[in-house]
Amino acid sequence: MEKQNYAIRSYCSIRDRSIRVNGNNFFDADPSAPLGDFLKSAYRKLGVDYPKFHKMDGLCKAIFIAAELITRESGPYEQHMALLFANRSSSYLSDNRHANDVFMPGNPVASPSTFVYTLPNIAMGEISIRHQLQSENVFFIFDSYLPEFLVPYANATLDSQRFERSALCGWTEVTEETCDLLLYRIGASGHLTHSIAQLKRLYNKEDE
Amino acid sequence: MRGEVYIVGDEVISPLGIGSESNFQRLLEGGTAIAPVTDSRLFDRTIHAARIDETQANDLVRETTRYTRLERLFILALQRLIDKHDIPLGKDTLVVLSTTKGNIGLLANPASTFPQQRANLNTMAEVIRRHFGFENPFIPISNACISGSLAMSVARRLLRYDSRYKRAIVVGGDELSKFIVSGFDAFQALADGPCRPFDRDRKGLNLGEAFAAVYLSKTPVRGAVKLMGAGSFNDANHISGPSRTGEGLYLSIREAMREAGDITPDFISAHGTATLYNDEMEAIAFQRCSLSAVPLHSLKGYFGHTLGASGLIETVMAIHSLKNNELIPSLGFAHQGTSHALNIITQPTKRPLNTFLKTASGFGGCNIATIIQKM
Repeated sequence: MEKQNYAIRSYCSIRDRSIRVNGNNFFDADPSAPLGDFLKSAYRKLGVDYPKFHKMDGLCKAIFIAAELITRESGPYEQHMALLFANRSSSYLSDNRHANDVFMPGNPVASPSTFVYTLPNIAMGEISIRHQLQSENVFFIFDSYLPEFLVPYANATLDSQRFERSALCGWTEVTEETCDLLLYRIGASGHLTHSIAQLKRLYNKEDE
Repeated sequence: MRGEVYIVGDEVISPLGIGSESNFQRLLEGGTAIAPVTDSRLFDRTIHAARIDETQANDLVRETTRYTRLERLFILALQRLIDKHDIPLGKDTLVVLSTTKGNIGLLANPASTFPQQRANLNTMAEVIRRHFGFENPFIPISNACISGSLAMSVARRLLRYDSRYKRAIVVGGDELSKFIVSGFDAFQALADGPCRPFDRDRKGLNLGEAFAAVYLSKTPVRGAVKLMGAGSFNDANHISGPSRTGEGLYLSIREAMREAGDITPDFISAHGTATLYNDEMEAIAFQRCSLSAVPLHSLKGYFGHTLGASGLIETVMAIHSLKNNELIPSLGFAHQGTSHALNIITQPTKRPLNTFLKTASGFGGCNIATIIQKM
């Protein structure tokens, strides 16, 4: 039987050109707007001053925005809050850019500022710096959104934590023009039960 | 008290040979896989790197059109482990796969004969799963240079807390590609000769290729070792530079040692990439944990930095060190080269060994420490 000892404290979705926090709209743009412009506009709407944002790739930017909104809704993150993320395309945006650079006919070049983003867990490093999180990070690669794996794994992680049982989890699939992100913060108490059914419901609801 | 998790089998494919025991023997003989490599498919200059001679593997996994080179090497490592231990492929066997970049060499590569889709890590993992017929989907992890050790810790946690699984295979691997070599070169991280971990004159790392696997079980067998503790903490400091205080590694070691019951390890298998800042950061973290006097090696001088395989191959070699009661020297070291002196192993040394600490650190500020003990 599935354990349901933990709760979802807050969640954020970025889908197409719409950002919602706990089910409420935060920011919408024209569906035809380029993803980069959309993320930049959302960053401006956040009103934070964090120049490093502009150096990040699309995956990091989307995760940065969602992590910012979740802490606004639910309070400062615990210092040792685990980060458990998954997606399908790993760091494809930066991978593709770096690969095209190094195979460019006649003029192969490699840029350190692109290469550094060719690992998916860099996004977790970025939000760890931003929110001063000294914690466990795991980046999983799945074919599709998989609460059937992530929910029990997150439960096991919280069960094994000694203090501040907490994690920021979710699906973070970002490609050239699409964004399919659902991040959620879990802990000992909150409004919603942390369960596979709940996470399926939240993911599908954000699509409506 | 949660159930214990044991490492009951292991396998290594490296340029030094096929099989864990033969690799371990090569280390004791001082054999290194690092050599000058001149290949325009990898880089426009000669680099020092550790590369697997794939013709060795072709004899064993012949389907060169169906599987990429990387997949064939993964399959070879898994096949040997499964055969040796008669591992069931059913629902109660978990497989965690560690890689930083998988088939990345195919991406945008005009010479590639495989579809670009194969560069997707999950697609690759599924190809390997289907080859064997495992019932569970593989769990791929891509978490920079700690991926191998982290995958083992993830598998351990699932075995302890998720009753669906009875056993787990953790397999890790990465191969050299123009993608990876060009990137590390752009970071000015590559040494122009064999790397020298923790040495005064270290000038950077060598990249390497390896495939390593461990078989984890909740049931001990004769000769098994026990996973006593693990800790993993981010530095929250810099995405590509090691922390100046070694904070994340310090926290990781402290947590692993606490979980293991505060035992002092008999030796340390460090990450030791031989870049200036990484090795210094590690020395600071070990000093902060009062472990500076514990005999320590880095195996990067033998295998190079094998990325997603490094945590696993280095753990497997350390397990064989425990079983043989013999310390493996840290190849490439001559002079203390960190602000806090370390007790670097310079000669193969026979002595009773019971416990070791394995550490790893990676881009994104991630760190991990694992304590393993003989039964």
